Amino acid sequence: MGLPCGTHNYTYAQDMAIMRTKTHWALLIALLVLLFTFPLYGGGYWLGVANLIGITLIAAIGLNILLGYCGQLSIGHAGFIAVGAYTTAVLTNVFHLPFLVGLIAAGFIAGFIGLIFGIPSLRVKGFYLAIATIAAQFIIIWVINHLGITGGFMGIAVPQASIGGFVFDSEAKMFYLIMVIAVLCTFFAKNLARTRIGRAFVAVRDNDLAAEVMGVNLFYYKLLAFFIGCFLAGIAGALLAHWIGFMNTEQFTLSESILYIGMIIIGGLGTALGPIVGVIFIRLLQQVLTTIVLPLVEAAFPALPAGFTSGINPILFGVIIVLFLVLEPRGIAHRWTLFKAAYRLWPFSY
Amino acid sequence: MKGKRFLIVVGVLLLALTFAALPFIGACAPAPTAPTAPTAPTAPTAPKPEDQPLKYGMSICMTGVAAEKGSPMGHGKLDAIKYINDELGGVDGHPIIADWYDNAYNAAKAATIVKKLMDDGALFFTTNSSAMMSASMAIANSAGFSGIASFSSPPCTNPPMHIYAQMPDYGDDFAAFANYYMANIWKGTGKPKMALEILNNSTGYGARDAATCLADSLGIEIVATEEHTATTISEMDAMTRIKALKPDVLFISSTPAPTAVVIKNAYELGMYPGIVIGCAHASYTKALIDIAGAKVVEGVYGVFPTVNWGDDVPGMAKMTEYCQKYHARDYGNMDYITSWAEALIGAQILKLAVENCGYDALAKGDAAAWACVEKNGIQKLDYDVQGLHGPVKYTPGDNRLDKSVRVFVIKNGVITPVTGWIEAPRIPYEKYPDKFPWAVPK
Amino acid sequence: MAQLTQFTITGITVGMVYALIGLCFALVWKSSGVANLAIGGLVLIFSWFTYGMVVQIGFPYWIGLPLVIIFALALGWLIERFALRPLIAQPILSLITVTLGIEFLLEGLTVFIWPWMVDALPPVFPPEPFHLGQAVVAQAYIWAAVVSLVLFGLLTAYFKYNKMGIAMRATADDQFAVQACGIPVTRIFSNAWMFACVVAAIAGILISWIGGLTYGLVETGLKSFSVVILGGLDSFIGCIIAGPIIGLAENIGGGYLTPFIWGGLKDIIPYIIIIIVLFIKPYGLFGEVRIERI
Repeated sequence: MGLPCGTHNYTYAQDMAIMRTKTHWALLIALLVLLFTFPLYGGGYWLGVANLIGITLIAAIGLNILLGYCGQLSIGHAGFIAVGAYTTAVLTNVFHLPFLVGLIAAGFIAGFIGLIFGIPSLRVKGFYLAIATIAAQFIIIWVINHLGITGGFMGIAVPQASIGGFVFDSEAKMFYLIMVIAVLCTFFAKNLARTRIGRAFVAVRDNDLAAEVMGVNLFYYKLLAFFIGCFLAGIAGALLAHWIGFMNTEQFTLSESILYIGMIIIGGLGTALGPIVGVIFIRLLQQVLTTIVLPLVEAAFPALPAGFTSGINPILFGVIIVLFLVLEPRGIAHRWTLFKAAYRLWPFSY
Repeated sequence: MKGKRFLIVVGVLLLALTFAALPFIGACAPAPTAPTAPTAPTAPTAPKPEDQPLKYGMSICMTGVAAEKGSPMGHGKLDAIKYINDELGGVDGHPIIADWYDNAYNAAKAATIVKKLMDDGALFFTTNSSAMMSASMAIANSAGFSGIASFSSPPCTNPPMHIYAQMPDYGDDFAAFANYYMANIWKGTGKPKMALEILNNSTGYGARDAATCLADSLGIEIVATEEHTATTISEMDAMTRIKALKPDVLFISSTPAPTAVVIKNAYELGMYPGIVIGCAHASYTKALIDIAGAKVVEGVYGVFPTVNWGDDVPGMAKMTEYCQKYHARDYGNMDYITSWAEALIGAQILKLAVENCGYDALAKGDAAAWACVEKNGIQKLDYDVQGLHGPVKYTPGDNRLDKSVRVFVIKNGVITPVTGWIEAPRIPYEKYPDKFPWAVPK
Repeated sequence: MAQLTQFTITGITVGMVYALIGLCFALVWKSSGVANLAIGGLVLIFSWFTYGMVVQIGFPYWIGLPLVIIFALALGWLIERFALRPLIAQPILSLITVTLGIEFLLEGLTVFIWPWMVDALPPVFPPEPFHLGQAVVAQAYIWAAVVSLVLFGLLTAYFKYNKMGIAMRATADDQFAVQACGIPVTRIFSNAWMFACVVAAIAGILISWIGGLTYGLVETGLKSFSVVILGGLDSFIGCIIAGPIIGLAENIGGGYLTPFIWGGLKDIIPYIIIIIVLFIKPYGLFGEVRIERI
């Protein structure tokens, strides 16, 4: 039940349309308006959280294309984000190239590195590929740490983003930059799903041997998935670098990669809505825990061993990931689809 | 169905309202810790200082991989603030609000937290990790929001902007130890051979950078620099290589567990006792003795910027009392001392700021307030920190507040001091712009 | 030459420690086909539990160690029952991610109960090393190697001769056929996880004696992946042989190449080996090869 009652598709264009009814368009425009007027009513801190969500969303969309649509298990996404971040850091700080050059270069270089580390996907699947990507992350981080030009272990400062003479020096300006790119990436991913490439990805995910029999070139499409996924990760990394202003490899840990996988799964693998929901859920949970809940809990139980709230974050995330996998492996997006279907068919939704 | 259309419209409106209201809900959340005193009322009578709190912003790594240091440090700070509020009546009567958040050793969180602190109207902020300070400093520097790093690294304070270091960093540790070694331990002629075992992050590389900068002027030959990870279980290969080069002294800049592994390996290879071993302050704690075993680390030198528990200094009694009352598990942990001292310094800064700027200017919590706190609070510091570590005093051009360390040695499983306060001179990183590009003023 | 001997001896002994953790992984894979990415967390929590028993409560080792074993059995049963049994026959992504979730959970629990995160177990071995020719090796390593070999022997014998062990191998081969024969598959999974947790506990205690109780136990768990990839995911003999190979590569490769390439090369060698093995011989030296061809 994807469409409201009474809407029928008579042409191919209607069948494939993303925005099928007037209600869809109205809701989309309302959402975009709300989104782009957010700086007017969100304070500095919440704008910062929104920026972090936007950056994470771009990387999560990349991972969703790689993992959700193409089925290539990659637990090294933070490493590719690091590649993007450091590329732009080096290009803008050391070589003084403009921000846009750094951004695009970050995407391409991250994409190529992803391509290289995706080559094992041609020989192995599943768990082996996961281990290859974990190894990839460690190797990438190690190389970044030891290349002198990246500032090594001390880190590297990143100048503020600027296009032409316009400098993005405030949170609100960064918000617009990040959100425009995030909206474009979401649109790109949603579109990708309904093109030939997207269908090929899904075929590879569902049964790659059958896909090969049907003439889908596994070599090409698997590497393309890695390239696109890591390209988006690179873009996200570049924006992250300019947003924080100082890059240090300690920011890209294996836990971060695992968290990205968690975000995708909780949101819903292989859907366009999934990354958005998953990212917002996890990031808001992190922020709420950090700024509101933990200080209250720590103050409320001074008798317990000091710093015991340290463990609550990972425990909570671990429990949430396990619960989602056990109870609703298809994620929040699936629940939302079910809800929409039920609501449309009401009172006959059973 | 008309009813359904109505429901849709209402639903969408409600959703939009909820999203719009989220920031306000967040802003209305209570401040993290007590005491939340109301702001000064605009009445003709002068408002009481008890009703005019000062906000002290803190970004602490209470959780995450650095929680072993961050957690006791958080307790030290908060206990000290409690002590100042309860027993000293705050700063000139104004209570201090500890506006603290946990950054979980995550740079993105640290970036959002420093923005939250700026929004909250905190007057300055502190971090207890150099990595977290480096994630926050770009934002703080461009907004003019001053910060103090308990544990610092050279890029935080070079070139000097709005970030100050409470204590000497790991480069200064090296400088101080090397000076002491050349003056008091090295008895031979010519240049002693030194090997470095460094951790693969800014702790270790801080020492290496200082060594690169200072080796010639000190008259030391650095024969080897070996890097290790924080999780290593064996450094035999690195130590074997070092042993072949026959060094006279080994300097380790790392955390307790890998330092213990390095020293154990040196012991097993027969290098130690024999060479002199010195440690930077990040690893020179009781955990080192516990993991390596007292016999193995007997005679290992180390530098540390604070006193040890039980030393006879004015600030020891109250600190010990509060520690044992509220966080007894942290007794014996040097990071608690560092952090208690940081809070004392913070209170002193606020005192100077209130006296020189007036409360009304500070209550606004905006860029003007921050500038005032920096100029009249931080830069006018001249305080003995009740003897808990070296005196803090700002000298222009050098953003390190406390520049002194003491040299210690492990005797019978106890860390005992050997010297008084030695001042570590400022290391001129900017003289080597190709090696240290971050030190060049913009 | 003395250097080479030292590197070799160190490499072999350190490798045996990795092999010990690899045995835990191979055990789970061999019995249920599940990739146990939670190994780091398991090693961590069992080591700290030992600390809790022996240091905080104060039991002597001969009471504390059996208690740890019992706790390991209980935790293994819990994990299998509540996190893995609902996911039988789910796609591999779910299984891997649920073990990652469990790893988060275990790390969080450890930090929750013991927030100070760095400590030491009371030492059992004296610090004097053994001398093997010109090389030295700490006593803890020798014991770790001995325990690895003993466990390897026990596990191989169990899987070859014991009825339950044979049932486990059958389950890994074909779950449906095994159920048709009347063997309870769920009980086999439970047993596999319980044994794996016991092995992880033993590994954790040994490593803690070597390097202290730190967060680093998780990283050592990650390094053991290189051992199982090289040796073959379901092969015990592969673990025992691949472990020393990885250790040797780390120490000799790191030992001689570090001065030429950047410092710290030793730490990245296991991961480079993973990538190389996956390019050349993905199923490892002794692993079972899955042939998928059109």
